[in-house]
Amino acid sequence: MSNRGNKSGGVKPRQIINNIIFLGPVIAFLILMLIYPLVYSLYMSFHKWELTQITPPSFIGLKNYINLFKDPLFWHALKIQIIFICIAIPLELIIGLLIALLFQIEFKGNNIMRTLLLLPFFILPSLSGTTWRFILHPTYGVFGAIYRFLGKEPVDWLSNGTLTFIAVIFQDVWRTWPFIFITLYAALSNFPQELKEAAAIDGASKFQIFFSITLPLLIPAITVACFLRLIDALRIFSEVYVMTEGGPGNATTFLSIFIYKNAFRFFQMGYANAAGYILTTIAMIISAIGLTRIFSREIYEY
Amino acid sequence: MKFKLVFLLISSILILSLVLAQTTPYKTTINVLVWDDAHTKAVKSLIPEFEKVTGIKVNFIALPTRSVLEKAAVGISLDRTDYDLVSIDEPFVPQFGDLLLPYPLWPKGKIFEKVDLKDIVEGAVNAAIWEGSARGLPINGNVYVYIYRKDLFEDPTNKEEFKKEYGYELNPPNTFKELLDVSKFFAKKPNMYGFGPFTIKAEGVTAEAVFIMSSFGTDILKVSGKAVKLALDKKKAIEAIKFYKELLETAPPGKLSFGHTERIQAFNMGQIAVMFQWPALIPNHEDPKQSLVAGKIGYMVPPAGPARRVAVTGCWILGIPKASKNKTAAAEYAYWWASKEAGKKLIEAGMSPVRKDLLSDPELQKTRKWYRASLEAFKYGISRPRFKDYARVSEVIQVYWTKGISGELTPEQAIDSMYNEIYKILKEEGYVQ
Repeated sequence: MSNRGNKSGGVKPRQIINNIIFLGPVIAFLILMLIYPLVYSLYMSFHKWELTQITPPSFIGLKNYINLFKDPLFWHALKIQIIFICIAIPLELIIGLLIALLFQIEFKGNNIMRTLLLLPFFILPSLSGTTWRFILHPTYGVFGAIYRFLGKEPVDWLSNGTLTFIAVIFQDVWRTWPFIFITLYAALSNFPQELKEAAAIDGASKFQIFFSITLPLLIPAITVACFLRLIDALRIFSEVYVMTEGGPGNATTFLSIFIYKNAFRFFQMGYANAAGYILTTIAMIISAIGLTRIFSREIYEY
Repeated sequence: MKFKLVFLLISSILILSLVLAQTTPYKTTINVLVWDDAHTKAVKSLIPEFEKVTGIKVNFIALPTRSVLEKAAVGISLDRTDYDLVSIDEPFVPQFGDLLLPYPLWPKGKIFEKVDLKDIVEGAVNAAIWEGSARGLPINGNVYVYIYRKDLFEDPTNKEEFKKEYGYELNPPNTFKELLDVSKFFAKKPNMYGFGPFTIKAEGVTAEAVFIMSSFGTDILKVSGKAVKLALDKKKAIEAIKFYKELLETAPPGKLSFGHTERIQAFNMGQIAVMFQWPALIPNHEDPKQSLVAGKIGYMVPPAGPARRVAVTGCWILGIPKASKNKTAAAEYAYWWASKEAGKKLIEAGMSPVRKDLLSDPELQKTRKWYRASLEAFKYGISRPRFKDYARVSEVIQVYWTKGISGELTPEQAIDSMYNEIYKILKEEGYVQ
């Protein structure tokens, strides 16, 4: 029986007051910092609101959403966002997993190497974008120098849509694979070794042990890591902004850059809010699915 | 004795306060939002001097160009403002015009005289005008000036080789044909390239596209009052893209991702023979600490295209938001900044002037040789399209111009798409029925 209520099933007034005292500030903070902006931006997404104009916002119903669904650039932004997620996260997962497995082997300097490998993850996204912009520069960048050393004409990575998109993925993988690595490394380090030892005694090969024991045990950690990366990848902005500004053309205009441009370049806040709401909805759906999966008993019980 | 001392002390403080109160008529703080470059760095360095004379404390907020517009958009409305004085880039004046106090209504200064717009170069004054009145004080005399490697153009061997190959004298290019010839000529030299383009997706691309297309005889839009008409002549625009593609062949590696940083760097390293430059950025090239070609640079008006000679303007204005509660102090600061006396000191610190008397000052022209070219270039000044939805049109120009010059689209496809997209914007915003 729950000890939260009294014997008659009701709640004591004092408990209610205590609850309000303890939860009130948090609820107030949530309302002010999360619920209110969400509700307000939803409300404004039904308005034509030009930031620098003296005319007040005017209600236009669903027109912003209808225009958005008719806007080829919006669909382009959504498409490349999905492609980006589908390529970058699996790459980060593969690299992170392989390196985490490698670090299960004890060797001299293991700790230092592990710390050094984490460094890219601590670099600010905008700094990472700027750095990569110069690394890839055919005249001043390292890549250009390598090409010249090999006697070849340097490739201008950021001048071609496809190459730029690849470069953005490359930059993202470089910066964020350590996150997956450290998550999986921590999970691997906590595995019960008896299972592997028993399997080895029974004659299982290393591949069999990996695919039948290690990988299934890693699924919860992989799910958490991928879920967090997915949410992060949906919000990718500053590194791309400083690296390409969404160009060349619109080759790297992800949803966040599309929203930013509409809000702060074209000053169309209503339209930008509508696009922002769609991105928020996508993130919320993914979060709901991800959280359900992560907290399900099925995953946590080996 | 003690009483006398106290009396003397109090009297002295009172007299001193009175004197100070008379010399500094303001006791206020103003928030000033500006772009960040050599020009504003110079102005910032002399703020203590202004504060000492006026008693106005200046919160000088210098941000990268794009961030200035964002901050201004968020920080200014009709009934409230975070800033008392804001800088607005020329093509965005229509966007912010309604929020700014028209210049004729600016209060007179108590210390510095109100600047007469007749003292400012005409092209820059035009940059401030929206719906018949100046919405602020033009403060930055930016106009396309062509810069070239004077030492290379005067080199006898180069002259001889050029004449042999092209059949005429090697001189700073006066026409687009000559520009292409000299660019091709220098691109053949070892470790040397011809032309320094602007290709990174930014306002610079719009300026470059407008410049080349206009030189070929076509405007993109015709704006008359509130009427906006799509005026892009596709045939001429295609010719313009084809010409720029040829010029690009002579540019250094990375030519399709060239912004201000890359252009300044390449020119300063002595890799580029000729390119356009904004006067505000020229001090970077003439600083021996930063540039290997300082003192070896020549300046001229942009070469004439097949149809006409034009020079794109890129001036900034200082505007006082209508909601500002410190209009007089803000105006005082703007008058100081734009005054001839302060101007002379600011120039020494790196500012690019907009006043006729400073630009034409023979003493200043001796050490700043681009002033003469700037003054001349303003005579051919053209603006980027000036209307409230400029930003969307500029984005379209940037996207399709770069696609056209990079070969991602054919020039015909690029111009068709540019035309259709701009038409769509005009239709959405009600300019086209």
